[in-house]
Amino acid sequence: MFLYKYYTNINENELIETFFTKLLKSSQKLYKLKLNYQKIIYFIEKVVIKLGGTSMEKPIIQIENLTTSFRIKDHYHAAVDNVSFSVNENEIVAVVGESGCGKSALALSIMQLHSKDRTKMEGAINFKGKNLLPLNEAQLNKVRGKEMGMIFQEPLTALNPLMMVGKQIEENLDYHTKLSKEQKKTRTLELLSQVGIPYPELTYKQYPHELSGGMRQRVMISIAIACNPDLIIADEPTTALDVTIQAQILDLLKSIQQKTQMGIILITHDLSVVAEVADKIVVMYAGQVVETGTVREILKNPLHPYTKSLLHSIPSAITDKSRLHVIEGIVPSIAKMDRVGCRFKERISWIPEEAHEHSPELHEVETGHWVRCTCYQHFHFQDEKGEMITHDIT
Amino acid sequence: MTLLKVEDLKVHFPIRGGFFRTVVDHVRAVDGVSFELEEGETYGLVGESGSGKSTTGKAIVKLNKVTSGKILFEGQDIANYSSRQIKPYRRDIQMIFQDPYSSLNPKKRVLDIIAEPLRNFERHSPGEEKKIIQDYLDKVGLSPDSIYKYPHEFSGGQRQRIGIARSLTLKPKLIIADEPVSALDVSVQAQVLNFLQDLQEEFKLTYLFVGHDLGVIRHMCDRMGVMYRGRLVEEGTSKEIYNNPQHIYTKRLIAAIPDLEPSVREEKAIARQKVSEEYEQSYSKYFDEKGRAYDLKPISTTHRVALP
Repeated sequence: MFLYKYYTNINENELIETFFTKLLKSSQKLYKLKLNYQKIIYFIEKVVIKLGGTSMEKPIIQIENLTTSFRIKDHYHAAVDNVSFSVNENEIVAVVGESGCGKSALALSIMQLHSKDRTKMEGAINFKGKNLLPLNEAQLNKVRGKEMGMIFQEPLTALNPLMMVGKQIEENLDYHTKLSKEQKKTRTLELLSQVGIPYPELTYKQYPHELSGGMRQRVMISIAIACNPDLIIADEPTTALDVTIQAQILDLLKSIQQKTQMGIILITHDLSVVAEVADKIVVMYAGQVVETGTVREILKNPLHPYTKSLLHSIPSAITDKSRLHVIEGIVPSIAKMDRVGCRFKERISWIPEEAHEHSPELHEVETGHWVRCTCYQHFHFQDEKGEMITHDIT
Repeated sequence: MTLLKVEDLKVHFPIRGGFFRTVVDHVRAVDGVSFELEEGETYGLVGESGSGKSTTGKAIVKLNKVTSGKILFEGQDIANYSSRQIKPYRRDIQMIFQDPYSSLNPKKRVLDIIAEPLRNFERHSPGEEKKIIQDYLDKVGLSPDSIYKYPHEFSGGQRQRIGIARSLTLKPKLIIADEPVSALDVSVQAQVLNFLQDLQEEFKLTYLFVGHDLGVIRHMCDRMGVMYRGRLVEEGTSKEIYNNPQHIYTKRLIAAIPDLEPSVREEKAIARQKVSEEYEQSYSKYFDEKGRAYDLKPISTTHRVALP
């Protein structure tokens, strides 16, 4: 783990090293002990990281008012509408919502993988203090894959079927590092064993079709972490997998993240996956963020009607046989969406019109817990009686 | 009354190779599976991918050739029927497929898709046919005007409902649902599951529910069987399987279900680790030398486990 810090943050390490040489020179006692610098630095870093993980919050990426619009017949329609959130170091932020809510569009916007001539992007993506939006393709390529990795949903379509697995991982190293052939191979084998592949030497020479779904997803993860990125965007990493494999992959992601202190944006529609790994949740509906907060807060005390409905529609292993909640209607398509007023209005038609705000905004109901629109105060399920929830809105 | 009884079902696929592409070995996709379905109940088959659960389902509809064993449908062994003999049974056993995006012909109108099984068995004038189809569309909650639309004009949940309408037109007795909701969002999934329950009441259907999502199976099924490498390793009521899993594989499967409560996740991760260690250690206790699960032995009237 420590080696990563060496490769990536040389400046920081240089600083610490000079600081310590001074410190060592001043204290003769320590000098006599002939302690290895690196060992001391390692301990100090460990302490710093531990402190940083708990008390200091260091945002890796800050997304500010990001709007991504697609051109459909000479009109631009926003698929991601004014989305803001941030991911700190050592944090997993989950973006949830149904399909068509703009989750994947958001992920691809952060990586800027949408074709430029059909999309318009506004706002700011501050990645390690630098705005990524104005960068050109060549500049972006230096960031993508190196400092920012991506895990795609369907590993079979994302991997090249005609290329050996090992070569595909090396491709990333080829582009971003200046390692020799042997070094690349050792690094690749190291990566493969890091993601829990039992025989790295054998897997190195295999083709994607020879691997099982879980193994392919592990290969995808190893490509994403090849250059020790600070941020990983995982777009539905476990959707195509079985429960047992899903649990393994989630545990793997979590352990890698704990080792390397990176941030993860986890895009999923499965709330139980979110409960299992995430620290923060961003609930998206029709391109907008409708609720955000910590996992514990949101799963225990969901406020927005959409979050509540989603949670009610899960056939949980705990509840007994009963009818599941169905959210009426469908997610509006971006071209036909009513952009004024609450976008969830049509799907909770039994809630009176007055409950909604004219132009819904995010309200902070508790520290760190934000909800859009005021309709949550009056919301009740169709078969329940209404009860007013009151909060001091700031 | 027992509607379907599967006895020692085996589906082996040959592996060809060597000289003149002779049969070298077999893939034992389903290797001796037995279970019974009562009329009107929902039976779940769970297991990871490659465990042979879909193959079992397909073998019952005879989409796969049965190597040996019996499939007793209403007392008749249909396992070795020729395609001519099986035809009358095709009416009674219908299938709902996994992916609504690829199981509907994109070039056909909804009318033709839903009427296809009907046209194979019954003669109707175009007017009558249209009326029947519109009735079924109404039942599955789609607008009757949509008969002239094409599949791409519908959302995922709607498409799955077209697939369901297609399987209902012949008034089947048994429906084999092969992961019917795994390609759908939670909200749509809820819609389809509720709807399948309603239909079961209305048409007195029996379901064989194949899936890997244990939450869904638990929600839908009265009884379930857990499959691993082509064998049943545990069978019982949903409650027994979830609250008192006996076989090590079932334990591992249950431990892998993600919990909606974030405060217990560390404990769950540790528990999962423990079960997985136990799995590694006691693997030989639960499986014989060839890695085959033992035969099922009853431990209570409804609960059966594969123990030596």
